[in-house]
Amino acid sequence: MVDIAGILLTGLQQGAIFALLGLGLTIILGTMEFLNLAHGALYLIGAYMGLFIVREVSVQEGLLAGIAADPAAVGLGSSFLVALILTPILMFVIGVAMERFVARPLYDRTEVEQLLLTFGLALIIEELAREFVGSQPFSSYAPDKLLGFTVSGQADVPLVGLYPRWRFVVIGLTFLLIGLSYLIIERTDFGLIVKAGTRDSEMVRMLGIDITRSYALVFGVGAALAGLAGLVGGTIIDVAPGIGTNNALVPAFLTVVIGGAGSVVGAIAGGIILGMVAAVFQFQAPQWSQIVLFGFVAVFLLVRPGGLFGSVEVGE
Amino acid sequence: MSLLAVDGIDAYYGESHILRGLSMAVEEGEICALLGRNGAGKTTTLRSVAGARPPDVRDGTVTFRGDDITQTATEDIAIRGVGLVPEERRVFPNLTVEENLHLSEVSRNASNTAGRDVGDLPETRPLSELYEAFPRLDERQNQLAGTLSGGEQQMLAIARALRQAPDLLMLDEPYEGLAPQIIDDVEDAIERINDEGTTILLIEQNAAAAISIADRCYIIDQGQVVFDGGAEELREDEETRKRYLGV
Repeated sequence: MVDIAGILLTGLQQGAIFALLGLGLTIILGTMEFLNLAHGALYLIGAYMGLFIVREVSVQEGLLAGIAADPAAVGLGSSFLVALILTPILMFVIGVAMERFVARPLYDRTEVEQLLLTFGLALIIEELAREFVGSQPFSSYAPDKLLGFTVSGQADVPLVGLYPRWRFVVIGLTFLLIGLSYLIIERTDFGLIVKAGTRDSEMVRMLGIDITRSYALVFGVGAALAGLAGLVGGTIIDVAPGIGTNNALVPAFLTVVIGGAGSVVGAIAGGIILGMVAAVFQFQAPQWSQIVLFGFVAVFLLVRPGGLFGSVEVGE
Repeated sequence: MSLLAVDGIDAYYGESHILRGLSMAVEEGEICALLGRNGAGKTTTLRSVAGARPPDVRDGTVTFRGDDITQTATEDIAIRGVGLVPEERRVFPNLTVEENLHLSEVSRNASNTAGRDVGDLPETRPLSELYEAFPRLDERQNQLAGTLSGGEQQMLAIARALRQAPDLLMLDEPYEGLAPQIIDDVEDAIERINDEGTTILLIEQNAAAAISIADRCYIIDQGQVVFDGGAEELREDEETRKRYLGV
């Protein structure tokens, strides 16, 4: 059933995932002036993490098929809730390590060097995924039950009609995460430093604040958000090595471009706008949807070069 | 011992040599003005003192209360008592007035100070005291700083620096772009702050305005000090003023 309500819901659901991705990318970009092209790879790791926590899958190719005790059943087969708790914690640790060993040596280098290194890292992570579990796509892992509630199948909702229950859960969950991130940014001292730092990190330092102490935390939070986006994304699309770039890095980047570099509100609004536009074309003219997205962003940039809420000029 | 002593510093932006063996001192309790034409090296001097990079200080020393701070990180210099009101104010436009002022409080958090050599930190100046001094800010506590007028932003930049309770307050072109009436207000504020015991280093292109409130003046030209004397002396020395300041 394709009608306007269905398109809007799908747009909202995709847009919320884009917003989660864009949030992480934009706070890292804004506070550290560091463009992390490995952000999509973090989504990829999150999706695989979710897969192997939630399912026991049959791995037929790659190193893991050779070394696993039972290649037909790799994974914990645990609940989605466990994945929801474990993924952000593990991803946070990965993000902190990334800040320390990848980003920190590059803060004083040129943008080109940052882009080359982080893009290289993204390719390495993608290839490692291929090496270990092969190129085969694993089917998405939406659970049947969550906290005792049935979350599979279709729900009959007034005005909308039949719509997959899980998609409602995804919308609720992603908005909860967005709300939580927003509260952290708006209501804590850490958030205040991040917000000020996205505009003028030198001025923050000139007030006696050692902003580099926040960098590890910013990277950790950004990675946790990207990982959660991957975990949620993997319940909707099949998990394969290419999704990090196609389904995460590109939309995250476009989201930040629309919202304005460094803007938290912009990332949320930009993600949802982008999700809506993508949804309309997926339903109406799927073969055009990728091209139209880039076209939409290009036109948008001509009208508002700084994005919706942007003030930071990238590369300034 | 001078509160701040700059001794023969050479500072570079990339390969361009901006400050050439510049020396100057600021004494406790005074208002010291640093004057000079556009491009003379005023802001470079101030950034060198504040520990901001660039410029790259390759020779000479900067001492504050006798401690060598030449290569100290800018956040460590700030927290030891050097407050800065930078050129173009640089208030955080996406934060409210209150949040701008709260950042200085955040600098006192253990998560920020632990493991750093910050000495005995003074209490931050109470918000109520700052709002009393700058009533316009009091009225606009919850307004985003980006929506304030130029004069109000200047007041906020000054209040933000004062919140740190600095021993030395450095102001870079505080009158720039302000209407004459507002310049008077800012002048009054600077004099009041000084009366309350804060030493001031004022950088200005508007020489007349700076001379009128300064105790002592330096003029720099091409990265070197070319005049060092009392404000009264400079007021009477028309030749020096004409030659280096064009007034």
